[in-house]
Amino acid sequence: MANLGNLFMGVALVAAFVSIAALVWGRKMGAKEGEGLTNIGYLATYGVLVGVTSSIAVLTAAFVSEDFRLEYVAMHHSTDVSALAWVYKLAAVWAGREGSLLFWAWLLSMFAAYVAYKRMSVTDEVSNMSLAVLNFVQVFFLVALFIPLNNPFKLSPESWIGPGGELLIRGGMNPLLQHWAMTLHPPTLFVGYAGFAVPFAFAIGALIVNDSSKLWVEIVDRITVFAWLFLGLGNGLGAVWAYVVLGWGGYWAWDPVENASFIPWLTGVALLHSFTVYRRRGGFKKWAVMLSVICFVGVLLGTFIVRSGVVQSVHAFQQDELSFWWFLAMMVGSMLVGLVGITYRSESFKGADEFDSLTSKESSYYFNNVLMLVAAVVIAALTLSPAFGGKTYGPATYDAIARPVGILYVFIMAVCPLLAWRKTDGSVFWPKIKWPLIAAGAVTAALAYLWWTVLWPIHLFSNPNANVLTSVTHTWEALIGFAVGALAITVSVYLFIVGAQRRALAKEEGFFKALGNLIFKARTQSGGYLTHLGMGIIVIGLVGSSMFVKDVRISIPSEPGAEFEVGGYDFVFTGSEERTLPNNDVVSTLHFDVSRDGRPVGTAAPGQVRYFKQDQTRLHVYVIVELLRDVFVVFEGFNEAGEIQMNVKINPLISWVWFGFGVTIIGTSIAMWPRRKLPAAA
Amino acid sequence: MNKRARMRLIGVTAIILISVVAIVVGVGAGDGSYSRSVSDVVGDPEAAGERVRVTGTVVPGSWDKKSSPMKFDIRDEGATEGPQISVVYYGGVPSTFGDEVTAIITGTVNSDGVLESEDMITKCPSKYESATGALTIADLLAEGDGVIGKSVRVTGFVASGSIVPPGGATRFVITDEGGSPSVNVFYDGALPEGMADGSQVVLGGLLDEQGVFDAVSVSLSDTEQ
Repeated sequence: MANLGNLFMGVALVAAFVSIAALVWGRKMGAKEGEGLTNIGYLATYGVLVGVTSSIAVLTAAFVSEDFRLEYVAMHHSTDVSALAWVYKLAAVWAGREGSLLFWAWLLSMFAAYVAYKRMSVTDEVSNMSLAVLNFVQVFFLVALFIPLNNPFKLSPESWIGPGGELLIRGGMNPLLQHWAMTLHPPTLFVGYAGFAVPFAFAIGALIVNDSSKLWVEIVDRITVFAWLFLGLGNGLGAVWAYVVLGWGGYWAWDPVENASFIPWLTGVALLHSFTVYRRRGGFKKWAVMLSVICFVGVLLGTFIVRSGVVQSVHAFQQDELSFWWFLAMMVGSMLVGLVGITYRSESFKGADEFDSLTSKESSYYFNNVLMLVAAVVIAALTLSPAFGGKTYGPATYDAIARPVGILYVFIMAVCPLLAWRKTDGSVFWPKIKWPLIAAGAVTAALAYLWWTVLWPIHLFSNPNANVLTSVTHTWEALIGFAVGALAITVSVYLFIVGAQRRALAKEEGFFKALGNLIFKARTQSGGYLTHLGMGIIVIGLVGSSMFVKDVRISIPSEPGAEFEVGGYDFVFTGSEERTLPNNDVVSTLHFDVSRDGRPVGTAAPGQVRYFKQDQTRLHVYVIVELLRDVFVVFEGFNEAGEIQMNVKINPLISWVWFGFGVTIIGTSIAMWPRRKLPAAA
Repeated sequence: MNKRARMRLIGVTAIILISVVAIVVGVGAGDGSYSRSVSDVVGDPEAAGERVRVTGTVVPGSWDKKSSPMKFDIRDEGATEGPQISVVYYGGVPSTFGDEVTAIITGTVNSDGVLESEDMITKCPSKYESATGALTIADLLAEGDGVIGKSVRVTGFVASGSIVPPGGATRFVITDEGGSPSVNVFYDGALPEGMADGSQVVLGGLLDEQGVFDAVSVSLSDTEQ
C-alpha cells in the first residue's frame, strides 16, 4: 500500500516535470514547430491528475480497509459507529496534515486538468505558460508530500500492530472532527485554496507572454468566483461547526486558524472586483495581477499558519522545520515573481484608469480594494505577531478594527451599484437612492426599536456598569451597523425591481419573467447584487449575535421538576439518560421542557459524549432556533454537589447570519455559472 | 486623470490607513499580551497590572468547577513542582479542563499576584508525563515485599515485541535501560498514541503478589517528545 501510494505520487511528480519542460520548450520552438511538444505538455497534465488521483485512491482504500500499517490511518481513522460512520471513514483522508496536503495536490491537479481540457483546442501562449506555472506549483506540493512528516504513506512502527492487524495503541480521529460540518469544511476550503492557484498561474502567464489584454481574465474569472465561493462556504461551515460543536456559543473567535482562511477570502473580494473593472473598462490591470498573486500567497499563508504550527492555536498542527521553510519559500517566491514581473511589464500593464471624481464607480472599486487589502494585511499581521515575538491579540483588537472597517465597507458596497463610471451626477444619483434610503430608514427604525427594547437591556445585563455615555462606540457601531446592512438590502432589492421593470418595458415581457431573465441572463451582475443582499442580511445578524449575547451559567438540582429561567425562557428538567455505544463511547442526554410566557416552545436535549478510544469528552449542544434569536443550551456536567451545571446563551439575530450566508452562496453560484463559450486566442 | 480627484483619492486612502493604524495601536496596547511562562511572571515584581498570556499545567486538585468564578493554580508546562500562579477565571469552563491539562490563559496579574482572566484555551491533556521521581524497575524490585499493593510511579522501556492486545494477564513488558530487570504489566485501557517498542513510559499503579505491575495509567515519558 505504502509503496504504491508513493509510487503514484512519484509518477505525478515526473508528469508535472515533463509538462513544464514540454510547454516551455514548445514555446521556445515557436507556435508551429513547437505544437507537438506543447500538446505533450497538455497531455502530461492529465498524467499528473491520474497519478495524484491514484495515490489518493490508495489512501482512501487504506482507510476503508482500516490498514493500520499506515501511520496516518492509525492516527486518523474514525471510531464512529453512527449512521454517518462511512462518511467519517472517508473524511479521515483529510483529517490530518499529511492527507490534507495530498488532498490539496489532488484538487490542484483537477483544476490544472480542467484548464488543460478547456484550452487544449486553442493552445494560446498565455494558457500554455499558465499551465506550466500550475504544474510548477504542483511540483512544490508533491515534493512537500515526500517530506517524512507530511507523507501520508509513512509506515507505522511494527509494535503498533497486533497479529490480526488490529491497532494496539490509542489513536483515531479527533472526536471534535466527527461532525457533518467538519467533514465538509476542509474539502470546501481546499477547493477554494487550490482554485486560487489558477488566477495566479494566469497572471504570471500573462506577465511572461506580455499579454495585457483581457484574455486571461476572461479565462479565469468564473473559476475565481468558483474558488471564492468555496472559500466562503468553507468558512461558513467552519463557523457552523464552531457554533454547534465547540459549545462556547459563538461562531467566530479570531482564532489563527479562522483568520488563516478569512485572509484569502478578503483579498478574493478585491480580486473579483478588479477583474470586473479589467474586463469592462480595461482598468485596474496591475491591481488584478498583484491581487491574483496576493490571493495565492494568502492561501499558502493559510495552509502555512494551520499546518506549520507557527502560531499557537487550539487546533494548529505539529511544528515541522522543513515544511516551515518550504512553505515560506513558496510564499516569498510567488510574491517576488509577481513583483518583479509587474515591474518588468509595467508599461504594457498600465490600465485605462480614470479617476474623474471621488464619487465615481471607479473610486468605489478602488476603495473596495484598499479596504479589503488593509483588512487582510492587518489581520495577517496581528495573527502572525506572536510568531515574531510580538503580542498575541484577542478578539477585542480584531473587533475594534473589523467593526468600523466593516461598516464603511458595507456602505461602499451598498451604494457602488448606483454610482456612475467616471463621475456621479447628484441629480441622477439622488432620485435613484431615494426609495432605497426611505426603505432602509424604515428597516433601521424597526431594528433600532429591537435594540432599545431587547438588545440594550442585554448589554446592560452583561456590563452592569455601562451607560449610554460609556457605551457610545458600542451603540453607534450597533445602530450604524443596522443602517448600512438595511441599505445594502434595500438597494439590492431596488436594483432588481428597477432592472426587471426596464427589461419588461423594453422586451415587452411580464414583470416576473423579466426578473427571471435578468437574474439568469445577466448572471455576473445579478449574482453580484444577490451577494450584496446576502451581505446586508449577514451584517444585521452579526451586530445582534456578536455584540449582544446574554450568557448565563446556572446549576440546578439533579431531580426531575427542577426549574430555571434565562431571558424569558423557562426550563423544566424532565429527566436524563445514558447509553453506551458498541464502540464503548458513552452518550448522556438531559431533557428539558422549554416555554416562554407560559407557551411551550419545545424541548431541549443537551448532552455530552465520552469518547472511549480517544479518551475525550465532547459537548452535545442543543439549539432552539427562532427568527429573532437562538437559545443555546449546554450541559456542562455535574458539579461536586451533584448538581446539573448548565450554560444557556441567548444569541439575538443569529439566524440572519446563516440565512444571509445562504443568499450570498446562491448569488455567488449564479455569478459563477460558466459562460457558454470561452474566449479564443486574442 | 483629474488631478484634484487624484489628490482627494490619496487623501482619503491616507485617512483610512491612519485610522486603522491608530485603532490597532490604541486598542491593541490594552488588549494585546506577551506570552510568558509561569516562573517568568512569578519572578517579575513588575508583572502586576500587565496583560499576559501564560501557558501552564493545571495543578491537580487545585480547582473546583463549582465555585464561580472558578479558581485554580497553574505551574510551568510539564513541571510537577516549582512556582505556581493562582488564577481566577470568569469565563465558561472548557469541557477538556481538568488535572494536568495544559491551559493557555490570557489575563491581567493583580496586585496580589493573582492572574484574573476571562480567556482560557485548553489543550488536550498531554499524553506525556515526566519520569522525574518515578522508580526504575530495579528500584521497584529492590523495595521488596514492602511495596506490594502500594500505589507507585514507575518508569521503564517497552520490551521489544512485547505489546499484545488487551484481555490477557500481560499487556506488555517493561525493562530498565539495557534490558534487565523486567516486569510484566497488566493494563486493559487504550495505550497512549505513539507508544512503540523501546518507548520510555511512566506507569502509575501497584505491584501485585505475583510480581505483575497492575497499571492504572500509562503515559509516554516526556523525553519521548
